[in-house]
Amino acid sequence: MTPAAVPTARTAGLIGCTRCGRVFAPGTELCTRCGAPLSSRDPRALQRVWAWWFAGLVVYIPANIYPMLITRTLTYSGEGTILGGVVELLGHGDYFVAFVIFFASILIPVGKFMAIAFLALSIRNHRFLDEHAQHRLHAVVEFIGRWSMIDVFVVAILASLVRFDAVATINPGIAAISFALSVAFTMLSAQSFDPRAIWDE
Amino acid sequence: MTDPEIPSPQGEVPQMQVTPARKRWWHQLSPVWLVPIVALAAALGVAWQSYAGRGELVTISFQNASGIEAGQTPLKFRDVTIGVVEQVNFGADLSEVLVNVRVSRDVAPFIDDGAEFWVVRPEVSVRGVTGLDTVLSGAFIAGRWDSESSGAHSRFTGLEVPPMLGGPDQTGMVVVLRLRDGNQISAGAPILYRGIEVGAVGAPRLSDDGESVLIDAFIEAPYTERLTSASRFWDASGFDVSIGASGVELDVKSLASLIEGGISFDTVVSGGDPVDPGDSFEVYPDENTARDSVFTSANDATLPVSVVFDGSVSGLTVGAEVRFRGLKVGEVTDLGAYVEGEGTARRVRLRANLELRIGKLGLGDEATPEQAIDLLGTFVQNNGLRARLTTASILTGGLLVDLVELPDARPAEIRMDAEPYPELPTSEAALSDFAATSQGVFERINALPVEDLMEAAIDALDSFRALAADPATRRVPEAAVGLLDDTRALVTSEDVAAIPAEVRAIAASAREILDKIEEGQAVENLIAAIGRADRALTSLETASEDFPAITSEVRSIAEKVDGLAMEELLASADRLIDSADALIGTEEARALPAAFTGALEEMTVFLAQIRAGGAIERANSAISAAEAAANSINEAAQSLPDLSERMSGLVVSADGVIAGYGERSRFNTELMSVLRDIQSAADAVTALARTIERNPNSLILGR
Repeated sequence: MTPAAVPTARTAGLIGCTRCGRVFAPGTELCTRCGAPLSSRDPRALQRVWAWWFAGLVVYIPANIYPMLITRTLTYSGEGTILGGVVELLGHGDYFVAFVIFFASILIPVGKFMAIAFLALSIRNHRFLDEHAQHRLHAVVEFIGRWSMIDVFVVAILASLVRFDAVATINPGIAAISFALSVAFTMLSAQSFDPRAIWDE
Repeated sequence: MTDPEIPSPQGEVPQMQVTPARKRWWHQLSPVWLVPIVALAAALGVAWQSYAGRGELVTISFQNASGIEAGQTPLKFRDVTIGVVEQVNFGADLSEVLVNVRVSRDVAPFIDDGAEFWVVRPEVSVRGVTGLDTVLSGAFIAGRWDSESSGAHSRFTGLEVPPMLGGPDQTGMVVVLRLRDGNQISAGAPILYRGIEVGAVGAPRLSDDGESVLIDAFIEAPYTERLTSASRFWDASGFDVSIGASGVELDVKSLASLIEGGISFDTVVSGGDPVDPGDSFEVYPDENTARDSVFTSANDATLPVSVVFDGSVSGLTVGAEVRFRGLKVGEVTDLGAYVEGEGTARRVRLRANLELRIGKLGLGDEATPEQAIDLLGTFVQNNGLRARLTTASILTGGLLVDLVELPDARPAEIRMDAEPYPELPTSEAALSDFAATSQGVFERINALPVEDLMEAAIDALDSFRALAADPATRRVPEAAVGLLDDTRALVTSEDVAAIPAEVRAIAASAREILDKIEEGQAVENLIAAIGRADRALTSLETASEDFPAITSEVRSIAEKVDGLAMEELLASADRLIDSADALIGTEEARALPAAFTGALEEMTVFLAQIRAGGAIERANSAISAAEAAANSINEAAQSLPDLSERMSGLVVSADGVIAGYGERSRFNTELMSVLRDIQSAADAVTALARTIERNPNSLILGR
């Protein structure tokens, strides 16, 4: 399948609305149907992708270094990082839970970073993946991004549920905020990506 | 024309390729870039903050890290967490555990080389439960340091036991206590002042010379005012059992001090100088010793000398006193035997090492051991100073070393070259002297012919009664009617007239003696009274010298009586009767009163014998509690009632005899009064006997 085989609004000399899909003549500023700003190709889209991507990466580092959970019980006071928690669960034999957490907290975010970076870098280079595959990858990244928040939800639920003052307390650590930010930033990064550019020559 | 809204692709394509004039690159920047920048700044800020705020690393070494967990165990200062153990690892040769603690930055500068660290774990001791909170939270490391920063330090050796002494933040004073041994004391034992806990001691440690045990004692602030150079410490550990005049006394201090030991102190006399921190104090074994020590000289220097004894030193113990003129000047520090000489001349000698307190020798507080040994040398040469074993207690048989001055002793001098200490010359142990003396005294007391004397006297009186009761004697009056006339003439003579008075005086003296004995006066009184009686008797003898023949006759009877041969006595009595018979009508019958003189003389002899036997004086002073003597005297005294009874009997018999002489004669009257005197003397003897019976010791003890 050649790129030329896929007609785009741009090759047709039109501007497509990314929200509602209607096409307009060049020069139109706002979609007359949904009011979204129109542009044939956002020249700064890639910049935003990279900006959110970097922001997400920056906060992802403390999310892994700093403790996710601060647990205090009568006899124990501990701080668990994400990876530490995975290792601990493995040590207890909870392979499934360990895998879920590892998948949601490590594999997905890291995969997202790599996918977005790959898409942003190879947007005009289709040597590794053709346009359709890239488009599908973008769709997957966008879809899966929100599920990374599962970790944050767990922490939030635990922190609110386990609160017996002296006996046992769980507090979210810095990593929880960092991780939530990281997930949010990567979602924004994926969203900033203009998949139409994939099809450009 | 095409619809402008739907341009044809062909015509519009070049238009679409046209991009606006290139703006400067930063005009093209998306504002979203601010987000990663802010995120980066925030992350860097957090990183920097955590790096900068993570504090100083302090390494504390412990013997073991029981209860210490990396990342868990906090370091607390005044119960505030100021750091957390970051790492626990071993020292270079695994001999110690290095605990790395991250200490907060604002506290770190105060942790200087005076800081102390220890691990607080739950601990249950006799003093209570401490560190209970650590049961749940786990052990923590406690530290303390003063509030002055004098150069941060990063390497410390942790204390294995929590310090009991007040830290820099506690006000008080640390003094050093010196003990003979640390048996009774464990770290944390209380310091008591009049039973109030005013401090605690640290762990005992050995002094540098290994001679004593040193303990740091912390005394809390207000009580340090009670501490002066005149204070004395003593071991209040355990309990004291003392047996004294008031019975058995059990003195238990606090329960804690019973188990952990304890040290009490008191300031016995006023006027001590203030004490500086770190001053050292001796700990005395008990309160009495501590209090007594106040009156010893300030000069604690001692002079070691040794003494070699030939005889047995059984009873001499380490710690026995060394006395000089009754004053304790030192004590025995060591006893041992060594072999001297070669071949057949070899013999074992016993050596005692003495420690003389120089301050006690009268040389003043500044005297040195050299001066002291010089002084001793002079005494040895000039005054005959010798060491001698003496019995310290007759009950326990304990010995002490007495430094005595024997001017007659063979010349000797201190052997300065003797090992290990200069050797003092010795003299014969006073021990054997004493034994001999006491033995002798006992023997002499035992040998006192008290019983014999009593029996002799009783026999003599019996003889007189027999004499008086004898029909032959009864015949005398009848045969002696004329004699009475002569006697009357005799009585009227001045000499004879004086006799009864003399006799009465003797009787009075005897009564006085007995009274005084009864009154429990000292034997001296007895002897003095005997002396008086003796003098009186002498004058009586002088008065009676006109009648030598009958006197000697009677004396010979008395001697026979004294000899206690009954048949001889009877024979003598017969002879007396014969003699008396023969005397009747003779001039010499006038000497009849002399017979009474003789009887009294017997008493005098009896008393004189008591005096002669009477090392009693010495006995009395030598052994106050000689039970055996008391018993023998007591046994002898059993005979006293007998004696007095017989004396009474004699009086009765004599009464009967005298009745025959005529009732109203003056002689008779005088005689009656003499007899009454004898009677009262007999009564006195009876009373004495009763007294002795009731309380045999009274004779000896003088009470």
